[in-house]
Amino acid sequence: MFRLIGETNINFLSIRKVAYTVSSILVAVGIFGLVMIMTGRANLGIDFAGGVMITGHFEKPVAIEDLRAAVHAEFSDVQITDLKDFAKPNAFIIKTKRPETEAEGEQKLRRLNQIISEKFPDHNFISVSEHVIGPAVGQTLRKDAQKAVLLSLLGIVLYLWIRFDFRSGIVAAMATLHDTLVVLGLIYLTGIEFDLLIVTALLTLAGYSLNDKVVIYDRIRENLKRFRTRGEFAATVNASINEVLSRTINTGMTVLLVLGALYFLGGEVLKGFAFSLLIGIIIGTYSSIFVASPIVVEWEARRPKRFK
Amino acid sequence: MNLKNWRVWLTLLFIVVSVIAFWDTFKMWTMSPEDKLALNESDPSALVKLEQSAIRLGLDLQGGIHVVLRVKMEELDAPAREDAIDRAIQIIRNRVDGLGVTEPQIQKQGNDRIIVDLPGYTDVSRAEELIGQTALLEFKLLETPENSNLILTRIDSAVVKYRETEKTGDTSADKAPDSAAAKADQPKKDTTDILSELMGDTSKDSADQFAFDESKDLTDNENPFTTRLDPILFNNRTGVNWPGYAVNRADRPLIDKWLNLPQVQAQIPIDVRFAWSTRSELRDQRQVYFLYLLKRKVQFLGKFLEGINSGTDGYGAPVVNFSLSGDGAALFGQLTGSNIDKPLAITLDDKVESSPFINSKIRNNGQITMGSSATFEDARNLEIVLKAGALPAPVEIIEKNVVGATLGADSIRKGFTSSVIGLVLVLLYIGIYYRISGVIADIGLLFNIFFLLAVLAGFGATLTMPGIAGIILTIGMSLDSNILIFERIREELRTGKTVHAAIDAGYDRAFAAIFDTHVTTLITAGALFLLGSGPIKGFAVSLFWGVAISLYTAYVITKQIFDIRKSYKTLSI
Repeated sequence: MFRLIGETNINFLSIRKVAYTVSSILVAVGIFGLVMIMTGRANLGIDFAGGVMITGHFEKPVAIEDLRAAVHAEFSDVQITDLKDFAKPNAFIIKTKRPETEAEGEQKLRRLNQIISEKFPDHNFISVSEHVIGPAVGQTLRKDAQKAVLLSLLGIVLYLWIRFDFRSGIVAAMATLHDTLVVLGLIYLTGIEFDLLIVTALLTLAGYSLNDKVVIYDRIRENLKRFRTRGEFAATVNASINEVLSRTINTGMTVLLVLGALYFLGGEVLKGFAFSLLIGIIIGTYSSIFVASPIVVEWEARRPKRFK
Repeated sequence: MNLKNWRVWLTLLFIVVSVIAFWDTFKMWTMSPEDKLALNESDPSALVKLEQSAIRLGLDLQGGIHVVLRVKMEELDAPAREDAIDRAIQIIRNRVDGLGVTEPQIQKQGNDRIIVDLPGYTDVSRAEELIGQTALLEFKLLETPENSNLILTRIDSAVVKYRETEKTGDTSADKAPDSAAAKADQPKKDTTDILSELMGDTSKDSADQFAFDESKDLTDNENPFTTRLDPILFNNRTGVNWPGYAVNRADRPLIDKWLNLPQVQAQIPIDVRFAWSTRSELRDQRQVYFLYLLKRKVQFLGKFLEGINSGTDGYGAPVVNFSLSGDGAALFGQLTGSNIDKPLAITLDDKVESSPFINSKIRNNGQITMGSSATFEDARNLEIVLKAGALPAPVEIIEKNVVGATLGADSIRKGFTSSVIGLVLVLLYIGIYYRISGVIADIGLLFNIFFLLAVLAGFGATLTMPGIAGIILTIGMSLDSNILIFERIREELRTGKTVHAAIDAGYDRAFAAIFDTHVTTLITAGALFLLGSGPIKGFAVSLFWGVAISLYTAYVITKQIFDIRKSYKTLSI
């Protein structure tokens, strides 16, 4: 039997005060980041911010890879697609994110045209149209997503209330929200572009983090049934965390292996996605052990329900 | 292996179903671009079918069709202009995104334009079918029975006269009106095709299949027109026959030709017109279209309709419910109040979708009871039509192009290889950590991927780069079930239990945790699917199936193998 860790008896609950402080700070940053993102003052991707779209064509053939390389050398966020049956051959669509101000926008467009004419001097780029485009993720889509997230939180609290108890449901949902907020804050701080990909990452991480909490609660529930008469609640919780520790680490490892591969080998496109998930998994595991479980213990200590 | 074992049979069944579901995707992915072009030449409908049933590659991986629509603001009054574009976007999204897995990209451009990027399609003309065109939903009254009979009789005699001149004239005279009619019919035919295809109808080529033979109807000298019409709108309460008729699909080209003759047109009063139904239907074992004689005046507009949904009435028959408020309620109350027991035609772009009788005055809540032979599918279709018809503004397609992938070949390759490497690392890790048990979990994982791809193919889902990464990730997570079970079995073995008892206890005790984690994830997926839209909905679909399948592989497929291992003396875990 190959084991990374043996039977442990680490007192995870002992450092809960430190964990609470760290978490409070991180959550504050997260809320700040969330506000900045919602008000559009963060680094929003073209999905959310909209941008400018140029349609144009070259008079001589240009390989799309060369055009991409030329433009990406300066603007990594510019999206280039080839138009296959346009009225003219060698046509492309160039999309760029909406800049902060109109003047910046003008400047960026001018610079883009400049780069293209510098790199392809004999090919003569003719811009057919330049349009402002709205966000692909519009108001309705955002509102729908918010409603959906609220409903799923409600559903989860209700389910855990039935399966465990009310406080477990609340604490698990809140801890998951905590994880998502913390990652959001870190995304804001590191200036990662917030786009649909990141939303997907956040949803995935919420699912993972919730699973983590449920697994621990399940062990606590089982141990409480088994050792109803002896031991105190805090010790049972601590023992439960220790018992599922090898599962926590192994599942975490499998996910980290995938994310590591995506982060280091996946190229620019997947980097932000992999990074947010990487920190998300770490934060999720941390909060299950050091935040969600101690809070249940303290709740029990103040308003005893199980051991009167 | 016990052949009476339901697990083995069920899994075999799933494998067969999955292979079938995945087959088109496999064909599509292995087909060279040249072969695709060749197939498009020889049998375009086969390619369309293939494209629909295969997993599409997203805009980032393969590109698709880029369509620019313009909302015709000039046809709207000032208050309607304000949010016209947003509502149009929502409706187009509903139309192309029914199941939430197509992943179109829809965005505003400037003040009156909408860009729609549809992934995975290679044929531009198909874009129009998917996005549809104007979609003007109108409610019209039918011509009175008395007037209709008069008009039909006059058309009959006009047709009789036309035939007589045809008989006496030579063959060249025969051809002239024919081609004129064909020309006059041309612009109309386009919209017919688009709409009927939007509705999933494939009978549009009836004109080519059923070349009409005019010699045979020389027998019905008296009323060649009316003999081909079979009245269908009989009101039982009043005993009146309203001008709605079933027409054999094969007869439609002939009827169209006659109706387009100038001498027949002259018999039709200026305030009425003939209109066909959108779809043909099987009636008394014949495929028939319905022909209506409508008053031209628009009585009511689809934009007033709210809260449209299909369902069943108290007797379990399929119905479509809708509600009205404000001006719409007042207008509809007036219209229905003064036309009780008369049929009301609901037309979409001049094609009749439905022609229910008005049973009572309707102000705020209406219900359309479908015909006796109608299915829930029909009710659902009408619901979609009514919803689409609430389009606040007519749109026109001003640009349509095929576009390439938004990601470079290099990025795609990197994304793909890194996903595969991640997967291989996970397989190795589990295999090394849990030995033979780990290898069994790995086999389960591969089944997992295969089943999930098959389900996505079944839904006609669209695979994007983050989608691929997401699948690999959820699948990595799905190993969680096996890890929980294995850790439990190890614990049980440590307490000195036999292999048999440890496996039983391990699976048993891990079940509660696995069940709870899966149910919470399913709740999340359900909420995201119900309320989310667009890409969120797409995410929910793959999440839901990923989780459901992982539960199956853990408790059915790998459990089956572990049941065999129960008789072992020692367990490699």
